[in-house]
Amino acid sequence: MYKVVIGLEVHCELKTNSKNFSGSKNDYSSIPNSNIAPVDLGFPGILPVVNKEAVKKALKMAIALNCKTPDEIIFDRKNYFYPDLPKGYQITQMHKPVGVDGYVMINVDGVDKKVLIHDTHLEEDTASLDHFGTYSLIDYNRSGIPLLETVTEPCLNSAKEAIAFLEALRSMFLYCGTSEARSDKGQMRCDVNISLMDENATELGTKVEMKNINSFNNVEKAIMYEIERQTEVLNSGGKVIQETRRYSDEDNCTYPMRSKVDAVDYKYFIEPNIAPVKVTDEFINEIKSEIPMLQYERINMYMDKYSLSRYDSTILVKEKEIADYFEKCIKEGSDPKLAANWIISIILGHLNKLEIGINDIYVTPKMLTELIKMVSENKISSKQGKEVLYKSLSDEKDPTDIVNELGISQIADDGEIRKIVLEVIEEQPQAVQDVKNGRDRILDFLVGQVMKKTHGKANPSLASNLMKEEIEKR
Amino acid sequence: MIDELREKIDKKEVTSKQLFEEAKNKAKKYQEDYNCFVTILDEYMHENSTSKLDGIPYGLKDNFSTKGILTTGSSNILKDYVPVYDSTVYKKLKESGAVLVGKTVLDELAMGGTGTTGHTGIVRNPWDKTHMIGGSSAGSAASVALNIVPFSIGSDTGDSIRKPAAFGGVVGFKPTYGRISRYGLFGFASSLDHVGCFARCVKDIAYVTDIIKGQDEFDMTSLPDDNKIYSSTLENDIKGKKLFYIKEACDINLYKDSKDTELLETLKIFHENIDKLREIGFIVEEVEFGKELLDALYPTYMTISCAEATSNNANLTGIQFGPRGEGNSIEEIMFDARTKGFSELIKRRFILGSYILQKENQEKLFLNAGRVRRLVVNRMNELFKTYDGLIMPTSGGIAPKFGEKTDQLSDRYLILENHLVIGNFGGFPSISLPSGIVNKMPISINLTGRAMEDDLVLNMAYKIEEKLGYKGLLKEEYDV
Amino acid sequence: MIEKEKLELYAEKLLFKMNDEEYETLQKEFDVILKQMDLIGKIDGISDVEPMTFPFVTYTAKLREDEVKNTLETEDLLVNAKHHDRSQIRVPKVVE
Repeated sequence: MYKVVIGLEVHCELKTNSKNFSGSKNDYSSIPNSNIAPVDLGFPGILPVVNKEAVKKALKMAIALNCKTPDEIIFDRKNYFYPDLPKGYQITQMHKPVGVDGYVMINVDGVDKKVLIHDTHLEEDTASLDHFGTYSLIDYNRSGIPLLETVTEPCLNSAKEAIAFLEALRSMFLYCGTSEARSDKGQMRCDVNISLMDENATELGTKVEMKNINSFNNVEKAIMYEIERQTEVLNSGGKVIQETRRYSDEDNCTYPMRSKVDAVDYKYFIEPNIAPVKVTDEFINEIKSEIPMLQYERINMYMDKYSLSRYDSTILVKEKEIADYFEKCIKEGSDPKLAANWIISIILGHLNKLEIGINDIYVTPKMLTELIKMVSENKISSKQGKEVLYKSLSDEKDPTDIVNELGISQIADDGEIRKIVLEVIEEQPQAVQDVKNGRDRILDFLVGQVMKKTHGKANPSLASNLMKEEIEKR
Repeated sequence: MIDELREKIDKKEVTSKQLFEEAKNKAKKYQEDYNCFVTILDEYMHENSTSKLDGIPYGLKDNFSTKGILTTGSSNILKDYVPVYDSTVYKKLKESGAVLVGKTVLDELAMGGTGTTGHTGIVRNPWDKTHMIGGSSAGSAASVALNIVPFSIGSDTGDSIRKPAAFGGVVGFKPTYGRISRYGLFGFASSLDHVGCFARCVKDIAYVTDIIKGQDEFDMTSLPDDNKIYSSTLENDIKGKKLFYIKEACDINLYKDSKDTELLETLKIFHENIDKLREIGFIVEEVEFGKELLDALYPTYMTISCAEATSNNANLTGIQFGPRGEGNSIEEIMFDARTKGFSELIKRRFILGSYILQKENQEKLFLNAGRVRRLVVNRMNELFKTYDGLIMPTSGGIAPKFGEKTDQLSDRYLILENHLVIGNFGGFPSISLPSGIVNKMPISINLTGRAMEDDLVLNMAYKIEEKLGYKGLLKEEYDV
Repeated sequence: MIEKEKLELYAEKLLFKMNDEEYETLQKEFDVILKQMDLIGKIDGISDVEPMTFPFVTYTAKLREDEVKNTLETEDLLVNAKHHDRSQIRVPKVVE
């Protein structure tokens, strides 16, 4: 058995109105070359001007990743020729990334792990190439879109951990509102470094890099495949070659990519066209104040403070809006466990069915809290509660109004029910006697009589308890 | 000069259109002999304005982006490039009513200082056709020296405005780094590139600079507006202002054994001029700058500028613009476009720059150059605590002849011909103005001041110009 | 002296060719610059100096507000491109 060591480099496009260094639109368009500016095309004489929002969102992520932030914002040039790179260099960050030395907590199968972040840096996306038979066409819509690259230390030890990290990272983008982080739109892409080492070895094995994997599912499959492949190589006495491989999801294999003899030297140097901008404490504090409590912390809070299971907590935090909804219910006075149950068992199903978000539904946390209260105070049965909630969701009506309209609120008043219980005992002496003789089933009959007299509004368990009490007195 | 033209236009003795036609005709007349322009405009384009420059014709170096007008950088790789956006400088001049006459020839992509490497041929010196005008802003300098236009725009990365200005007997100025937006100026070495101008007197330089300066949302390195009108403070008193010159370059005793008579004459005039400056109240002192740093100027400049240049010009691949290379693969077409598109000198500088930036060489070459740059700038700033300006001969002699062999490593060359880069290293405002005649050719004096103090530099230069008496210098035959 | 082969490799990476004569000139240039740079390396205390990128730093630069403006039309891209179709620049097939 070998120890698996994985490092990830995750690129994610940031959500902004305009591009990182130009005023053209940051948006997907099916019309090629419709979102362009001189800067995106590398025309002679252009100068980059840094987007404040991109910097802000990048710093927000750096802080969320527990990174150290720099005293000033500067950029670097990464020089290489490629047809999707119109300037002949990419503007990125090497000397002073927006964040260094951070970490992210993940939980895999109930075990906590600290994933170390080497750095996270702001850069620009390249143009995209559309390939045809004998030629390719260049679309500059993507050229210059702000991109945040997050690099982990080689500290992940399984595909499961890698995926857990990616999920955690994606949730951070969503929680912080910094990206939609959709891999199906190519907004989130991942490079994977993977090496195998002997269980007791102190030095890392030879690493293989897999570039540009576009879904978490494929990341997992690519890692599994590479573990298997490298294991076989090592077991047969061979050596793993340091190389870049491409994962193909068609046949679930990795293939060596065409590589030049010598590694590319990117000739990094500080971008002289971008004057340094101070990162003030004020700016950092403003950003910090906008970062919400994140997934991992919320899960722990739900478990510790609200005694929810990890399973339920994990479901509730999947989307920030749902977690926020849940927390608002508690603020309104809901019992946490009950609120979690109602949300998970009814509301989430409703959202899934209609493919809508929790903020789209009519039922507010306050309404749900009222409903939960009616059930726990036995005003309505839990079965009725469910029906009311469904109806409230579909008819967009306040649950309290529905309960009133249907007249289904229960008689939970001790005195009122006792009066009727006494009436029934009076009317059914034989049955009472039967119960006293130990025929328990007859009790149900008597309670049924109470229900009949109240047109079903009496709380059944209350009626049953009172009936027992009164019969025992005789 | 601008005041005269302004008066003529305002008094309706001449129309701006007539001035344009006149300039255009002169441009065409001198084109064959001197080759100032890549493009001479046929169409008179004028936006009304109330500025000083309204209706005044000018030339623009062909490395400033002009929407709809061919802009070549004097390179084959851009020989058919028609920009789709305006440089900020061009836009400001347009809005001020200035009338563009033509796009001027430069050394290819602004690299080089001879005026001989542009793709449309060499530019000759209006004072003597057998001499260079220098570069890289060769056509901009020559077009003003030929009196085709009263002013022109250039760019200066090492000395590319001030040197050709000196060789052509005109005034050349580059203000503080960032004072004028670089947006639309084809990048050579971004951290050293400056926009500036040529004219025949300091006042005209101030008029033009007043128009084209200012913070630009498209250039992050542009400085906040200083809200000063340079042309309004030229007459300020300069008595007691302190200047220094560098002993290691200007001490005549250093050249005791030299047979370079031009150099000796140039230095003699320089020292005579220094005395004249003292007469009008300047305090001028000799300062030892540090030989080690001065010897390092040239290699430091080459290292930084070549490194930045190789990256800045990596967009020239013939894919988005420029002649498309031939070939069957993407690599082949880029290869072909660049092989055919760049001349030898450019390629050599790119290779040098690329070598300098390689990971294994960065520390010793690129970063060491950056360190020397800081030492030089620190030394200047230290001296600027005492002095208001550095005064030097712009060059150690007159414009070189074509084909003349020069010893680049001689003392004259290493310091006297390279000290202007100090102004680029620290972004200091720096101006050259005519200061004498040697062998029937003009020589110049150069004044460099503290960063941000463009107004003071122009004020001092104006006073120096007044004293030295070469304001509006022209070779006689062009004075029409 | 720096080997010609090494320089040829640089030229190839920069995507152009040069002829033999040009390489000779280049080798000489390299010789001069590298010798001078050697001297620079010997300047006292040079390694303690922070390399300079900007002529000066004023921290007056402003980040750009995140607004869509100053954009180009598709036609502006195509006007200078020698080969294009379907509003895109066309190049020989790029093999990844």
